[in-house]
Amino acid sequence: MIWLAIILMTLVVFTSRYLFLEPKLPLKLNRHARGILAYSSAAVLTALWVPLVFIPEGELNLKLSNPYLVAALVAIVLAKATKNVLLTTVLSMLLFFGLKQWLG
Amino acid sequence: MDLDSQNDLGASHWRELLKGALAVTPLSIAVLPWGLLAGSFALESGLDVFQSQAMSAIVFAGSTQLVACGLFKAGASLSTMLLTTLFVTSRHLLYSLAMRPHISKQPLRWRLLLGFLLTDELFALCGKQKPEQFDRWYALGAGLWFYLCWNAASLVGIVAGAQLPNLQELGLDFAVAATFIALVIPQVKSLPVLAAVLIAGVASLVFELIELSGGLIFASLLAMVSAYLLEKAQQAGRGR
Repeated sequence: MIWLAIILMTLVVFTSRYLFLEPKLPLKLNRHARGILAYSSAAVLTALWVPLVFIPEGELNLKLSNPYLVAALVAIVLAKATKNVLLTTVLSMLLFFGLKQWLG
Repeated sequence: MDLDSQNDLGASHWRELLKGALAVTPLSIAVLPWGLLAGSFALESGLDVFQSQAMSAIVFAGSTQLVACGLFKAGASLSTMLLTTLFVTSRHLLYSLAMRPHISKQPLRWRLLLGFLLTDELFALCGKQKPEQFDRWYALGAGLWFYLCWNAASLVGIVAGAQLPNLQELGLDFAVAATFIALVIPQVKSLPVLAAVLIAGVASLVFELIELSGGLIFASLLAMVSAYLLEKAQQAGRGR
């Protein structure tokens, strides 16, 4: 039963990743569709991280005692200033753990 | 074709492969704790060692794996598991659609391979590229290195199992947020992209707070369409 579930889940996940990569799928992306999809990366990635940062423990936390929020704001400034993914990640994580120790 | 130019071609593929691997490294590091958790949680949920590793090796989808383990533990039915998987994994449909111009013209084995490797992280790197910038070797390097890191972390999680400290309480999910921030913010170079980010952020929060299932997808689509409409309005305003 567990193996069956694992294999079926694999199929569902793989299908969702592969479906539109298949050229035989009769789907032509017009100018508008491409124009909309150009924003997909910025939109989806933001929709993934924002809830993590603003709702760290099940409820909205906009206080400056929320280490997720403070470290994320610093990460935004660092990313804007340096455009360096590794540097931004490492520095903001150090800050995050520091804040967590200090506040927690 | 003479041998020299063949070697050059091999070298440039190799270079792109390494470039991709290097680019995905911060993201691979950020997910290591999640990999550990995916491994140890699978074992704790009643899966054996091979099943636990198979979750990372063949399902290869962090959020699906963690949710599924919770369902295994709760003794959920197969249909519940598959329906939940479908929901959690639905954002990959969007990635696959966005990458269609880049990948659908590739040969079958490349499509299958890159499709299998198309995670949030790979999309974070390649989704912002224009189709003509896309390099399949770069994508492969990034995808494979991420796959190896994820599976190695899961293996450690399975082996170390209960000896690990309580990972969920450490707040390691911030690492994932930090990498996504680091990838998104430099993309904000125009008003429509800024609008996409702001709308996606606010909408994802609202949808999360009202516990709307599939909120991630709705928030993203809303942001994408709004940004595109703004782009068109700007063009019209400039009178072309």
